[in-house]
Amino acid sequence: MEILAFASFAALVIAWIAAPSKGEVISIEAKKAA
Amino acid sequence: MRMDKINTGDTAWLLASAALVMLMTPALGFFYGGLVRKKNVLATIMHSFFILCLISVQWVLWGYSLAFGPDISGLIGGLDWAALRGVGQAPHETYAPTTPHLAFMVFQMMFAVITPALITGAFAERKRFKAFVVFTLLWATFVYDPVAHWVWGGGWLGKLGALDFAGGTVVHITSGVSALVAALVLGRRKGYGAEAMDPHDATMTVLGASLLWFGWFGFNAGSALASGGLAANAFVVTNTAAAMAALTWMTVSWLHKGAPSVLGAAAGAVAGLVAITPASGYVDVSAAILIGLGAGTFCYAAIQVTRRLRVDDALDVFGVHGVGGAWGALATGLFATVAVNAAAADGLVYGNPAQLGIQAIAVAASITYSAVMTFVILKLINLFVGLRVPESEEVLGLDASQHREAAYQI
Repeated sequence: MEILAFASFAALVIAWIAAPSKGEVISIEAKKAA
Repeated sequence: MRMDKINTGDTAWLLASAALVMLMTPALGFFYGGLVRKKNVLATIMHSFFILCLISVQWVLWGYSLAFGPDISGLIGGLDWAALRGVGQAPHETYAPTTPHLAFMVFQMMFAVITPALITGAFAERKRFKAFVVFTLLWATFVYDPVAHWVWGGGWLGKLGALDFAGGTVVHITSGVSALVAALVLGRRKGYGAEAMDPHDATMTVLGASLLWFGWFGFNAGSALASGGLAANAFVVTNTAAAMAALTWMTVSWLHKGAPSVLGAAAGAVAGLVAITPASGYVDVSAAILIGLGAGTFCYAAIQVTRRLRVDDALDVFGVHGVGGAWGALATGLFATVAVNAAAADGLVYGNPAQLGIQAIAVAASITYSAVMTFVILKLINLFVGLRVPESEEVLGLDASQHREAAYQI
């Protein structure tokens, strides 16, 4: 149980480092206008 | 009167916990209020605030007696305690033997209040206020009160050995499943899928989630009904699961959609709080981390599925409370340990697979009963009152059409 708990938290930390930024970045004003 | 048995520490903690749980309902109003469009925010907050008033009266008149009164065939409590006859300052021998019976009653009242309020997120932005009032009163009487009796009031699920420390089945499965039924019966909002229905104030939602988290310490740690080690355990695992689920939801949504969502973190925290609720008096902190991990993953996935199926559960009540509650109830059957609570039972991980079976029966029974009863109640109300506002009023917004008021003058 403890090993699984540590492993799951470690998996999240790795995911934050590896997570990509997807999609076009647009301003909130432009999004509202659309 | 056996007043000498009253423990002042336990009583103080239980009353403080009741106050903490009371705060959760207006907090839910803000959580939901931020998620709707500006023209419906006041109506959405009113759902929660009104329920606080309505069920506070229903509970003392007959709700408490139906849920916790003398058992009738394991199905419902009798009306012996209607209007709180016989419920006084002396403790009840089995429910909470070291606090006044009135303190236990008011603590349970706050659970009865928040449960129907959770459902309101599914029918937000389109339900007639009149229909909502009748629905809430019938649902509390014919769904919440019986299921609370089954599990906590000496009914058949409690006798079977189902473990539900603070309301995974009684509160979250019943409300989550009923929310799904309500969303299906009412139908989609006008413009659903064709126009943007973005949250009008994400800051309000995060504030609401934070206040829910705060109140949840009363919900779970208060359910120990005493100020001791079990309350401390429930407090710690509650905080841990909420945090882990928030981190997980944010991460999954980041991987899925390319950005760490603030609203996702808030929704994830609530999902974690939901999932740890039934388990909080039976599991240790490692299990809480795994329960939070599961809540963040399963609830996020459930919401993607309901959206893909174009079910307009407006504020994702089924995904968070229905799925989170079911996961928490089953996880209790996996991770429960007598090392945390000697009065309970071990789960599958600790060599008792039968407990998982009992939990599955409790989950199935609460899903089936609440789905059928909610469907019947909604259909009856639709016959006599009408569930939805007219289309023109939906376009105008419920704040103006139902309440003749506006949330913002700025």
